[in-house]
Amino acid sequence: MNDVEVTVMRFDPDEDETPRFDTFPIGAKKNMTVLDSLFLIVEDQDPTLSFRCACRLGMCGSCGMVINGRGRLACRTKIESLGDKIEVQPMRNMDVIKDLSVNMDKFFKNWEKVKPYFVPKEETDEFSVIPPASGRREIIDENQDCITCGLCYLSCDAVALRGEDGYIGPAALNRAYNLIADERDGAKDERLDMVTDRDGAFGCRSFGACVEVCPKGIKPMKTIQKIKTKKLRRSVGLKY
Amino acid sequence: MEHVEADILILGSGGAGLFAAHHAADQNSNLKIIVSAKGLIGKSGCTRMVQGGYNVVLHPDDSVEKHFKDTIKGGGGINNQEMAWTLVNDAPRRIRELETKMGVFFDRNEDGTVHQKPFAGQSFDRTVHKGDLTGIEIISRMRDQLYAKPSVEDWDEVRAIDLLIDEESRRVAGCLMLNMRTGEFIVVHCKAVIVGTGGAATMYKIATPSLEKAGDGLAMCYRAGTEFLDMEMMQFHPTGLLAENSRLNGGVLEEGLRGAGGYLINSLGERFMKNYDPERMERSTRDRVSRAAYMEIMEGRGTELGGVYVDVSHLGKENVRKMFPGMVERCRDVGKDLSVEPVEISPAAHFQMGGVKVSNDCESDIAGLFVAGEDAGGVHGANRLGGNGVCDSTVFGARAGDAAAAYVASLKSQVKVSDTQVHEIIEDIVEPYRRTDGENPFYIRNDLKNLMWEKVGLVRNGKDLNQAVAELERLKDRVNRVAVKGSQKYNLTWQELLNVRNLVTVAKMVTSSALIRTESRGSHYREDFPESNDERWLSNIYAAKGENGEPEYRVDKTKQTHINVKEIQGYQVVATSK
Repeated sequence: MNDVEVTVMRFDPDEDETPRFDTFPIGAKKNMTVLDSLFLIVEDQDPTLSFRCACRLGMCGSCGMVINGRGRLACRTKIESLGDKIEVQPMRNMDVIKDLSVNMDKFFKNWEKVKPYFVPKEETDEFSVIPPASGRREIIDENQDCITCGLCYLSCDAVALRGEDGYIGPAALNRAYNLIADERDGAKDERLDMVTDRDGAFGCRSFGACVEVCPKGIKPMKTIQKIKTKKLRRSVGLKY
Repeated sequence: MEHVEADILILGSGGAGLFAAHHAADQNSNLKIIVSAKGLIGKSGCTRMVQGGYNVVLHPDDSVEKHFKDTIKGGGGINNQEMAWTLVNDAPRRIRELETKMGVFFDRNEDGTVHQKPFAGQSFDRTVHKGDLTGIEIISRMRDQLYAKPSVEDWDEVRAIDLLIDEESRRVAGCLMLNMRTGEFIVVHCKAVIVGTGGAATMYKIATPSLEKAGDGLAMCYRAGTEFLDMEMMQFHPTGLLAENSRLNGGVLEEGLRGAGGYLINSLGERFMKNYDPERMERSTRDRVSRAAYMEIMEGRGTELGGVYVDVSHLGKENVRKMFPGMVERCRDVGKDLSVEPVEISPAAHFQMGGVKVSNDCESDIAGLFVAGEDAGGVHGANRLGGNGVCDSTVFGARAGDAAAAYVASLKSQVKVSDTQVHEIIEDIVEPYRRTDGENPFYIRNDLKNLMWEKVGLVRNGKDLNQAVAELERLKDRVNRVAVKGSQKYNLTWQELLNVRNLVTVAKMVTSSALIRTESRGSHYREDFPESNDERWLSNIYAAKGENGEPEYRVDKTKQTHINVKEIQGYQVVATSK
């Protein structure tokens, strides 16, 4: 494989007025990911580059970045898929801590808004008996593996246009849906109201970037639609 | 420098740390609890990376006695039996807590009851799971549930540097922390610390854990003076994915592949386990399967990349894709389709059985210092069963939380942090910034990983171990010569220095303990002593910092408090006949 040029954004908000871009040559090899290339930079070329990662296998959602213009996990993005020039920037819609690492507080503040925790409907120590074929889990299970990487949040136009207080964003709304649809949860109505206010589900414009970038195959646009449907059905007195 | 007061400080946000936080907060919602981690809370550590699942007795035909015996047998008979008994008895409560209090939803049988799948080394199919990426569900729900507990503060990317102990009373006074984002130090003044930062398997060339793990808790406890045991016991997972040139290397392909009937095959196309454990074949325990694979590779029957193959294609393409979607996706990263072809794998360092010596309630020898999860030793003995890891971290995390809350409630006075001690530690930590030229910590880590893999790996001998002991001293000297450039803010090179410093500290205990144990047991295999020797070694090796700062060792018989392991067949390592 050929050498590639990896250009990374450098920015320390305490020191720099504007970001700059540094370019490093990397000898591309089979299997190599963007995360591997960042490690090669910090190990051999510039020890001061900052970025975040943990599991390196797409399970923790720590290494979300904008790679060649699109939100991706650095650990799940092969160099060979990107051509000779690779540009890496921090996630949008969040504040930069330094270089490629961002503060995800805006994302998690919105996550917290949907009451993301389980509220048991009844005090019990027994497992619910729910046959998989019953359909009672609706579409929870296929949308449950969210790793809160924030890629949908950085890619969402509604978030970009309305800001952190104007729209809760795809991941958090997907979490809300999973709880609303969970027959074991006791805060269904309260939560349904919380996520259909001005900053809630009806703010989704169904552009679908969230579905396209999700590294876990989750479809927030679809679960957000389900929230809207549930709210409308409830308001006209139908089963929801 | 910032000073913060708290009742309980929890280091690590994996299964142990988060369960501890929940339980301590449930005991008393007025306690100020801080959970702190090197990464984002809930995103670092290995509970999230659990694939296979959680061993627990739920079925009427199963029993805690069976789970207990499997655990002791797998552990080569040197487990702390009180802890193992606690593990199997508490697990059913913890799994129910996860489902009914935190909203986890495990996979179901067709009739809607909880599904339990087969795992290696177990006499009953008792592994509860969520697909083949169980940890994501467990840790995400535990993390979410913290939002319901405002008394718990979460500190992202704040790592612990050292425990602050009052030397006279041997009590916890606090902990020196480093905010990795700002590069500034924080002194936490607290009554209790719970350590749950995970083990140090990342000291090996091919390793499965999350990259940030560096045995930090173990090294801090060592410096604080706690006693350790079983440090020679390092588990190698048999099926780490081989991905040359990438940190994907060593990513686990889950145990369930073998459980479901997967084959392990050498380059001659033979199912080599027939020569090592003909009865259990691929469903033998991790220690045996890993060693067998390693020996095949060493004897020239390995693949091009120096591995062997795992093959599940005979289970049917659709079945494999349905049962193991996460594993199929992972193999696709190296251009292989697990559902139709064999995939190259190698044993990979996975889990540290050894750790800090604790009581059943996770108390260490230092008052107010609790240790849970992988950082604690004893429960798994010489080898951990697949599926007993997340079981361990949740069971003992909960107990640590309960015990720490009770300890804090019983405390009449608090001891003071020594400013001199804080100052000395900080001077030492920032010293590398004063050097203009010096060692690169990433290169030291690579050398450490190669050294441990080659000389303290799956198959050990006295000569190599002696060389490793000497080589580790040289690495330690190099650690002291590292130079760091740039600011203290989010400086990965500086962080790597702190990581490798801790790894070398732990590696020294691993290597010396391995040299002392002149027999083979569980995951510890000596080619110069290839069989178990109960006469001498149905025992544990303990280590602690001596007067001169170097570790000192002692050996003590394992107490057979519940059952005499000799009543169980097959816990020993016997010479293989090939």
